[in-house]
Amino acid sequence: MEVDPNQPVQEMPPAPPPDDGGNRSAIIIVVVILVVTGMLIAGRHMARNGGSAGTPVPAGNNVKGAAAPDFELTTLDGKKLRLSDLRGKAVLLNFWATWCGPCKIEIPWLEDLQKQYAPQGLQIVGVSMDDDPPAKVAKFAQDQGINYTVVMGNDKVADLYGGVDGLPETFYIGRDGKIVNRVMGLVGHKEIEENIQSALKQGAGSTAGGQ
Amino acid sequence: MKNGWRIALGSIALLGLAAAQQLGDLSRHPVPRVAAAPVSVVSVRAGSTATVHLPFRVAPGFHINSHQPGSELLIPTVLHMDPPTDIAIAKVEYPAGKELSFDFAPEEKLNVYAGEFDVSAMVRPTRNTSPGRYRVRGNLKYQACDDRACYPPAQVPIAFDVQVQKAPATRRARRNPPASPHIHQ
Repeated sequence: MEVDPNQPVQEMPPAPPPDDGGNRSAIIIVVVILVVTGMLIAGRHMARNGGSAGTPVPAGNNVKGAAAPDFELTTLDGKKLRLSDLRGKAVLLNFWATWCGPCKIEIPWLEDLQKQYAPQGLQIVGVSMDDDPPAKVAKFAQDQGINYTVVMGNDKVADLYGGVDGLPETFYIGRDGKIVNRVMGLVGHKEIEENIQSALKQGAGSTAGGQ
Repeated sequence: MKNGWRIALGSIALLGLAAAQQLGDLSRHPVPRVAAAPVSVVSVRAGSTATVHLPFRVAPGFHINSHQPGSELLIPTVLHMDPPTDIAIAKVEYPAGKELSFDFAPEEKLNVYAGEFDVSAMVRPTRNTSPGRYRVRGNLKYQACDDRACYPPAQVPIAFDVQVQKAPATRRARRNPPASPHIHQ
């Protein structure tokens, strides 16, 4: 084969480094994976704390003195309620449901206690864990004559309060926003009242707290 | 190149961990208070029916609402089956509950299941179902309580096998016997 001396010599492109293409692909994959991982972690964090703030309460009874996690939930008449709006009051936070027999036993007691201790600064908040629409819960509340605030709960708020596996579960929160006691299941009227009195005493004269 | 891919594989593992954490959150289930006992293989001919008995056991100290708890506010126990195509599940029969009262409502009788109970159902493969073994899956939805508290609605998974046998041969309409060419009258 003869070579024409007038023909320009074709320059061969420099050979790419042997690993360059592979490394580039790997870096792209790493970046994509890190972005997706970051989004998953961020999404998880947002999902757990959606509409709420604060450190979740651990499961179990070792919660006394912990700041009650704040949340925003909708009342049966469609208004928004933040727990922090109640700062300065003692709060009885009662997780319940219409299908819960023991919860229904407590309701008349809570109505009486709300009436009795409201002048001293008690606010009872019932957190309904029903999957039913609010209208059904509202009818139940009306039939029962509930005179305290009821909000529609969700799993995110339940998670903030340690999971709330059984109902009723009640948190007594002092005026300073710190948990005075947590009681799982039905207890007697006397025990509820004693816990309310403790909550009213805690943080009296101070509204600074973790709510 | 090897280093790059090592990093990529490491990142995939990280992603897997994060995904597993997500799934762990999604799989947050209440503690089971009802267990389903194993069920023997149900043998049935295609086109016929057989009854399956599904045994359940409520954990000691707990009760669950019966299928007809007597109040629309209470959540009844309900069997839900998801059979394969060509196999029908019908006539689900629930036992009568026990009328019990509890400390939290001594004056009120609740209709509940406690201890062991069976739910039965009719299994009916269509006539065209191919012989073979089929798995039927489903779940029992329930809501449990004890003496002091009630627990969120939950479900216990169920699975049993149906051995479908060949349908019996179809009896053909009797025809008039052909006249024998050898019979002469």
